[in-house]
Amino acid sequence: MKKKLLSILLSATMAISLTACGGSNNNSESTTSNDTTEAASETEAAASTEESGETAEAETQESGSETSDYELTDLYITVDGTLTANVDNGQDAFVEQWQNAVSEKLGHSVTLHINQPEHSGYKDNVAQLLTTGEPGDGQYPDALIMSATMLKQYQTTGILWNMADAYANAEFQSRITLPLINENMKTASGELYGFAPTYGNGCVTYVKQSWLDEAGITADSIKTFDDYYNMLKAFTKDGKTGVIAAGFGKFDEAPYINYMPEFWQGAYPAIYQKDGKWIDGFQEQATVDALARLAQGYADGVIDTDTEEASTKTAREKWFSNDQSTSEGVFTYWAGTWLRTLTDNLDKNDVDTDLGDDRLVQLAPIQEIKDTWGGYLNREAPVWVITDDGDGDNSREQAIFDALLETMLDGDKVQTLWTYGAEDVHWSTKAEEFVLNADDPEKKAEYSYADGEFHLKQSPNDANTLWKKNLLDPVLVIAPLTNGFVDTDPLVEKGNKFFTENCVDAPSAASSETLTEVEADLATDKTTLVNEVVAGKKTPEDAIAEYQSKWADTIDQILEELNSAE
Amino acid sequence: MGKTQKVTSTGKVINKKPLKTRIWNNRGFYLMFLPIFIYVLIIFYWPMLGIRYSFYDYTLKKIQFVGFKHFEKMFSDAEFWRAFVNTLELSITKLLITTFTAVIVSVFINEMTNLFAKKVLQTVIYLPHFMSWTVTAAVFTLFLSTSSTGFINETLKSWGLITQSIDFMHDTKLWRGVYYVVNIWKETGWGTVIFLATLAGINPELYEAADIDGATRLQKIWYVTVPELANTIIIVLILNLAKVLNLFESVFVMYNNRVFEVSDVISTYIYRKTFLTAIPNYGYTTAVGLFKSLVGCFLVVVCNRASKKIRGRGII
Repeated sequence: MKKKLLSILLSATMAISLTACGGSNNNSESTTSNDTTEAASETEAAASTEESGETAEAETQESGSETSDYELTDLYITVDGTLTANVDNGQDAFVEQWQNAVSEKLGHSVTLHINQPEHSGYKDNVAQLLTTGEPGDGQYPDALIMSATMLKQYQTTGILWNMADAYANAEFQSRITLPLINENMKTASGELYGFAPTYGNGCVTYVKQSWLDEAGITADSIKTFDDYYNMLKAFTKDGKTGVIAAGFGKFDEAPYINYMPEFWQGAYPAIYQKDGKWIDGFQEQATVDALARLAQGYADGVIDTDTEEASTKTAREKWFSNDQSTSEGVFTYWAGTWLRTLTDNLDKNDVDTDLGDDRLVQLAPIQEIKDTWGGYLNREAPVWVITDDGDGDNSREQAIFDALLETMLDGDKVQTLWTYGAEDVHWSTKAEEFVLNADDPEKKAEYSYADGEFHLKQSPNDANTLWKKNLLDPVLVIAPLTNGFVDTDPLVEKGNKFFTENCVDAPSAASSETLTEVEADLATDKTTLVNEVVAGKKTPEDAIAEYQSKWADTIDQILEELNSAE
Repeated sequence: MGKTQKVTSTGKVINKKPLKTRIWNNRGFYLMFLPIFIYVLIIFYWPMLGIRYSFYDYTLKKIQFVGFKHFEKMFSDAEFWRAFVNTLELSITKLLITTFTAVIVSVFINEMTNLFAKKVLQTVIYLPHFMSWTVTAAVFTLFLSTSSTGFINETLKSWGLITQSIDFMHDTKLWRGVYYVVNIWKETGWGTVIFLATLAGINPELYEAADIDGATRLQKIWYVTVPELANTIIIVLILNLAKVLNLFESVFVMYNNRVFEVSDVISTYIYRKTFLTAIPNYGYTTAVGLFKSLVGCFLVVVCNRASKKIRGRGII
């Protein structure tokens, strides 16, 4: 009897302890889930919303979608690193002010949930979210940012909403100054799956003025590839190198060649349209020639060996690092605001302090680029897309468009939030004075503003840096602000002007069922082959032959799909 | 008639009652076992229902039964077979090398007479085991870099042994060598634990007998220590052989696309197809994962049998 009693007691204890464990697991799971949501949505304002409440709200949304008076209460968006008001940089204030402004416009409250995955893994993260989730799940985005390449891949899958009508009827239409940006993104049958609030922007080649001075070269004298190459050679000595980039080519991100345009020149190592016909640029002679140039540059040591595996972050950090003895003279990177960012980073690292805002020279496209493309490539614009819940009713999707995209270009409060960030956190119109780098006499900068004067404030996470912009670049936006808030940084203006005068539109990204299926493998193989050629392990001709032996049939099928669809 | 009788080796007759009666009689123990049983079902077996997706196309908004399509695709994919062969080659070679290095190091440590030096050496060689693979790979990548920060290349150059840097991490001929060296560095120390324990248990009388016979130190190692270790070496090899397909982290942090040919293993292949594909099809990668699990199960059964033969009991 004692044994039985003992065993019952033991089993009861175990059951209770396991229930307790289970309970605590559940709690920790829900806590983790909330934490994840919180972290992912970057201190969303409504983080305290209880799960049951969220479920109820989601259910309300679902049932609401069947009626025409659909009321959006929660908006889940996924963004990449281009939203600079991130969780460490005043995102909570941005979200709060966005909610207030949008609620005021719509007449009901909308809670904004931001999921901001790590920038370099954004594409893969989005693929996971969209494959494993569905509308109504907390992490599943109602709207998200996509690159042009991603848009082409997803727009045929049925998960994106055709926003052509919503776009055509949008209030901001009357203020759009660059209508072709979005018109050109429509499919042959007039469907629009992505909305670009700005044009694409592109990369220009920056050269350090001090390096030019030391080598006795003027930027104006760099007109051809030979001039450019000789400049790199002159820079390459005593541990210093001519140029660095994030990879010799970036084969998974259009326009693929924009980080080393001088070496690639007229080559376009991807499937693109030429004379009205889709072709594979990787098999063209221009690519063979470009590979030979890259291999030569690598062998001569003018291309930094870190280029092969560098991410954009590691490449630029090495370029503007405090240790210039192992740095590089040339770096091709994004135009406009990035000219300011690169200059500021050089300044922060005490590089060429005496040159101030004249540290960097923007190199005009060399003749070989002008003769082929006509200038630096302006990439296809990144877009916002809205996910379609597939219920055949547009109410939910239209409500998302109204809350997010319609307000994004309102010319006023909400557009200012997306452009400059939160009021009195990232920018202000109140009278104030502040000093950057107060402890460093060489870098000290004093700012003083009168009441009513629009100005950017210190960055929330770095009191020694001036805030620049949030998601929308005021210079690239397709419908300008109407409230007169303008950040007049001459250096950024100079950068944008230079790029605008020296750019052409990049070829459109291709999209077909087979291409989407094999695109990642293609990019991997191209990267491998290019790396092997550059390192001298293969000749360009052998690499292309190897590529053809493996991919010829698949490429033919892709081209067939693309050309027959035209 | 309903009862069955069982006779023990001593001739004692056990009356075996019907199952229901036995369960009822032991209901307390069964009740105690129930939570564990439910826990195991939920935590370990319920997720295994996901295996069914290897027979489905599982992609954006589409879960569709496709039969053995993914298996056909997998078996006709040269990259898959390359990964499969690489997994076996890398794993088995690594196992052999690290085991035998651990044996040699253990014997040397065992021969050390200075206790303090012995302890210090043991501690020093254990330490790398506790470094994460990410840190280990970063350190060795820097160490072997072709840039001016690469210690090995710079040293070889300064000694005049080479004029051009050797690209250890990107050369298909060198990568595996580097991989094995890093594994030896990281895991040998930890691998000595079991061998040192065995060495400590060798009967000292065997050495005394060898001394009387006039054996030299090397002869004692060869004729006493090594035979005493043989059984343990075989057991270690067998136990680890069952896990040869579980190779991911160490390769993932060290490989790159230029050495895929010699470094891509099944787990990294699955990772790429799942997480680095524009629009992934989980059905396919589940199929590859299932195949890997089946081969793993087969190896466990084989090793279990080998273990039973060699040491009289299995590993499962």
